[in-house]
Amino acid sequence: MLGSIYAMVAVALTLSIGVLRFLNFSIPGLFMIGGMTAWASLRGGLPWWLAIGAALLAGAFASLVVERFTWRWMRGAQEFVPLVSSMAFLLLFEHLAVICWGSELRTLPPLFANADWRIAGLVISVPQLVGLVASIALIWALTLGLARTRLGRGLRTIAEDSDTALLLGVEINHIVPVVFLISGLFAALAGVIFALNYRQVQPFMGEMVGLKGISAMIVGGMGSVWGSIAGGLIIGVVEVMSIGYFGADFVDIAVYGLLLLILCVRPTGLFAAAFAGQRA
Amino acid sequence: MLAVHELEVRYGRVHAVRGVSLTLAEGEVVAVLGANGAGKSSLLRALLGLTRPCGGAVLFGGRDITRWPTSARVRDGLILVPEGRRIVMTLTIQENLLMGAFHRRDHRAVAAEIADIYDRFPHLAARRHHPASVLSGGEQQMLAIGRGLLARPRLMMLDEPSLGLSPKLSNEVFALIRRLNRENGQSILLVEQNTQRALELAGRAYVLELGRVVMEGAPERIVADHALQAAYLGRGTAERRGGGQHATSAS
Repeated sequence: MLGSIYAMVAVALTLSIGVLRFLNFSIPGLFMIGGMTAWASLRGGLPWWLAIGAALLAGAFASLVVERFTWRWMRGAQEFVPLVSSMAFLLLFEHLAVICWGSELRTLPPLFANADWRIAGLVISVPQLVGLVASIALIWALTLGLARTRLGRGLRTIAEDSDTALLLGVEINHIVPVVFLISGLFAALAGVIFALNYRQVQPFMGEMVGLKGISAMIVGGMGSVWGSIAGGLIIGVVEVMSIGYFGADFVDIAVYGLLLLILCVRPTGLFAAAFAGQRA
Repeated sequence: MLAVHELEVRYGRVHAVRGVSLTLAEGEVVAVLGANGAGKSSLLRALLGLTRPCGGAVLFGGRDITRWPTSARVRDGLILVPEGRRIVMTLTIQENLLMGAFHRRDHRAVAAEIADIYDRFPHLAARRHHPASVLSGGEQQMLAIGRGLLARPRLMMLDEPSLGLSPKLSNEVFALIRRLNRENGQSILLVEQNTQRALELAGRAYVLELGRVVMEGAPERIVADHALQAAYLGRGTAERRGGGQHATSAS
């Protein structure tokens, strides 16, 4: 479950890296915006489906704002400038959230009373199952879209060589916001799923998950969508298992130790053959 | 159809195109010749809007397109088959052809035109679902031209289509360009370093040197014109002469 959340954040990051060659640090912020907006709307008395809608809308909108400031108006700036300004956005979002909602940990009410299925001694929580299925379905739809549609072809062309895309008449200015929109939606939805499952949100919730998302992307192989998913699931499973075997204090040691080990053996990541640019 | 008026292109301190004017009528093949660095590619980039000219005007089909973005020019039928083909290697051959038709919505016509291109180039048809990286240089050039055709060009600009190809493959490429012009009435702006082959194809030609047009007219005139020897063709002889002097002084 945790793995699929990491995977979604990693996919959001991957899309940005793969197509735009841009490590978008605002994505953990969008994750937080998704989670906190969901909490705030639920507290405000909105029904759950409206709260989810509001959270996605807020994430998408914030992502487009980031696009304007880190990308469109920064054209021609040096490569690291978008990186720095996206980091600024992460901090900006976090502190705006502190101002709006305070910095303490907030708890969400359980949405679905008694929403556990018991099957042969296994307890399956319905929100977890829904979250897992939704994230897998979305990622699958994304890869299908990249492979089959006109927009997907355009994105892959930009990813390989944006100059060629331009001379073929691709309107890069129209397509780049779409990349930001999709990655913003993925990050925000991951935040919503996190909020509904763990029922806890706070303004800095994105940082830890964002770090794991970046790790998932790197373990999987930069720029590869399927690699990010695999990376996210691996980190999620290792995390849950190390809590079980070694206790909560050892979680990060286990996760990042494994990360270092994988990178020593396969410096390019597990699935380096990417959808974009780089070929194995 | 195309009228370029006093075009100026600068990259920082480099003055790449200096007051170039040229015209091209519908159905014509016009060659732009010149040595490396004469400003040919800069001219093409400016015509397509990839580089902003700092002076002059470009008229296409009677409209001033000097400030248009590239995508609008492509939709209007001004198509470049770029130097080095610029095939998208991670896309399949079929997807590369579809990229040529990126701005088109008439899917049925696009599918029919792709089928035509496969008829013309069976090499491409056989591997349509393979990544374009499996193609040889000559096949990539055919794919680049096919991709250009799918954009429905009113004017096709070809930048060094024979570059890096064997003489035999160059011949095939030039034969294809000739057929496109003769059979489909395709208007073509051909930029080439292979002066001789380009002049065989072209109805008229311009010779660029250091960003300026130093000669223009019918191919026979240009071949006959002695100035061309100094401007371009004879650069080799000039060097030989210089080398000879060197040899003399050494002895």
